[in-house]
Amino acid sequence: MITKVEEQDGRFAVTLEGEMDTAAAVEAESILKPLYNSDGKDVVIECKNLEYIASSGLRILLGILKGAKAAGSSVVLRNVNDDIKNVFKLTGFIDIFKFE
Amino acid sequence: MKNKSWLFRVGIVVMAAVLVEIISIIQYERVQKIMRQEMNDRSQIILTALADDIVHNLEITETTMNENVLELRRSLAHPDSVYSAIKHVIDDNPHVIGGCMAFVPGYYPSKGRLYEPYVSKENGGFVMRQLAENGHDYTQNETFRRAATVKAPVWSDPYVFGPDSLKFATYSYPLMDRKGRLAAVCGLDLDLSWLGDTLNARHHYPSSFRLLLTQSGKLVAGPSSKRISPEVVHTVMEILSGKVPASAHPEYALMKGAMDRAPYWQVVQVHRTDEVFERMHRMRRQQMLFILLALAILAFMINRYAHNDKKLREASQEQARLGGELAVASRIQHEMLPKTFPPFVYGSLEPAREVGGDIFDFFNRDGKLFFCIGDVSGKGVPSAILMSVVHSIFRMTAGNENSPSRILHVMNQELCRSNDSNMFITFFVGCLDLYSGELIFSNAGHDKPFVMCGTVTQLDTKANLPLGVFPDTNFIEQNCTLAPGTTLVLYTDGLTEAKNIERRQFGLAGVQQLLEENMTSGVVTPVDLVSSMSEAAHSFAGSAPQSDDLTMLVIRYAPENLVRESITLENDIADISKLSAFVKGFCGSIPIERSAAANIRLALEEAVVNVMKYAFQDGDKGTVTVLADSNRQELRFTVIDCGIPFNPTSVMEVDTTLDVESRPIGGLGIHLVRRLTDSLHYQRMAGRNILTMTKKI
Repeated sequence: MITKVEEQDGRFAVTLEGEMDTAAAVEAESILKPLYNSDGKDVVIECKNLEYIASSGLRILLGILKGAKAAGSSVVLRNVNDDIKNVFKLTGFIDIFKFE
Repeated sequence: MKNKSWLFRVGIVVMAAVLVEIISIIQYERVQKIMRQEMNDRSQIILTALADDIVHNLEITETTMNENVLELRRSLAHPDSVYSAIKHVIDDNPHVIGGCMAFVPGYYPSKGRLYEPYVSKENGGFVMRQLAENGHDYTQNETFRRAATVKAPVWSDPYVFGPDSLKFATYSYPLMDRKGRLAAVCGLDLDLSWLGDTLNARHHYPSSFRLLLTQSGKLVAGPSSKRISPEVVHTVMEILSGKVPASAHPEYALMKGAMDRAPYWQVVQVHRTDEVFERMHRMRRQQMLFILLALAILAFMINRYAHNDKKLREASQEQARLGGELAVASRIQHEMLPKTFPPFVYGSLEPAREVGGDIFDFFNRDGKLFFCIGDVSGKGVPSAILMSVVHSIFRMTAGNENSPSRILHVMNQELCRSNDSNMFITFFVGCLDLYSGELIFSNAGHDKPFVMCGTVTQLDTKANLPLGVFPDTNFIEQNCTLAPGTTLVLYTDGLTEAKNIERRQFGLAGVQQLLEENMTSGVVTPVDLVSSMSEAAHSFAGSAPQSDDLTMLVIRYAPENLVRESITLENDIADISKLSAFVKGFCGSIPIERSAAANIRLALEEAVVNVMKYAFQDGDKGTVTVLADSNRQELRFTVIDCGIPFNPTSVMEVDTTLDVESRPIGGLGIHLVRRLTDSLHYQRMAGRNILTMTKKI
């Protein structure tokens, strides 16, 4: 999978592409770890090409959300496909994340 | 209610008593009437005979007179010959004890105005007297005057005369001389003293007697005062004379018989009614006694009947209640049995009575068919109760346990613990893997099932002790693999021991032959086999009553479109991508729709990751094998590892409603597995963790 993080206009723009299975999540976490402490900056995660996510991926997203919440910033997920949204539903994450 | 029925019973007895009494009274009156009539008739005969007898005596006397009239008339010419003439006449007739000639006054001037020569029989000789000499003025005599006046013979009323108080009646005959003038009245004294004795010589009843009365009602003769007191005779005379009404003396029954010629004397028969009807009264008293006895018996019987009827009603109510409860029990028991059958399983249970002690059950868990058949010793309600217990214990045990012998072990422990009535249960538990055909089974003393696969044989089961006998019984588990198309036939002894009227049994051989015939003719579906066996058992038994519960369970292992693949991974997260490729490939071969396949992939990945993380200590090497099975209707994944015992299903459910701050990082994986599969089971077997998931397609 591909994981990219950019800083634009004072916020973090994250792009997730491909399949984020448990093995891929290990790699992705090493890239996304800085976002666990976002210093009050909002985080936008582009999921347009994200095809799959396992619970380990969800844990990373939860870590980012917890950090942002603590600093008073927001986390927005963009273009999440229905299959993945279903996983958010099953876990109750649909209520704690913002979707665009 | 009780009071009412008591009144009813008394009413019946009283009514019966009144009825019987009325009949008895009517009968009594009728019999009395008949008896009275009979008495009258009999008395009339006797009275007539007696009257005839008296008439006969009178006639003899009259004849005596008539025969001697000429001689007497001749003697008129010689006044002194009169005595010998009279003597001659009375000597002719033993009943005549005296005779006289009372001459009209002055007939013989030489003899004075009144002349009455009289001859009487006394002490065997004759005594002659001239009665007028003693101053007897016969012209004042009623009879004399009548005879002289009417110039025809007349009878006097009886009278008593002489020192011996003899009783006579005198026949007075007017005697004419040659010139046709009345010369004298000749009298013959007829002795009537015999009458009283003859009249009362014989009687039916001790107090009966007869009286002889003159035409005017004067008493002529009666019973001796020794036999009947004069007061009684006096009373009867008063009744006869009309001084006292007959109704004042119902104790007397009087009957009269009169002579049919002069002097028209009457004979009266007197009976005492109490004597006449004494025997009848006695009979009636006896009858009353019998009636009372019969009524007492009737009362007793009614009481008994009412009592029995009440008991019978109570018993029938009780029976109806029991019947109703049995019907409910039967329904409950039936409802506990499987009602819907997949095409590869069919079972039936026909209890010999309302409820039975047989059981069969099956359920599908993780693509494995768990099934059982059992027979509780005995039949009827006690075994039905135990059967229900056995059934629920089986359900509870087999719900979490994969091993048939373990199931039997747990059931046995439970049943031994509470089996004071020493009932036991033969029980067979099997577990058929519907994908692989692997059959694991353990038999607690039950009949060996038949296996139909080209041939018909019996499954070679080790016969362990039945359940409920010893708590420490060791149930041996066996296994085999069924070839596709194999049919298992399980049954209870109600099938093999079905009896006909000659007490012969259907037998194992009979069942085997039946199954072979079915196999030859291509009857293999469970439902057809069960109905064929049931029909055969019933037609064998014929009219003989069903001797035992008849239970059958048929399972056909005929997998179609089976797909099985497997992969073995190192316990390394990096190998997860191999799993993803494997799952994608497997789902693609079924095929399965993309998003469903994504869910399956996620569930399986989470399960395997869980195992890799928790079943292996850090640094330990191991493998995780994933078996994927499908029959085009269901997917089954079995995750097997040789790590330390780890049961992911025991992990607590995560609360998905918590807010961000409170949400824990872990626990999501197993939560997802639960949500994305239809069933999830963990089993530790032979040093391996076995996690089974199924998902309907």
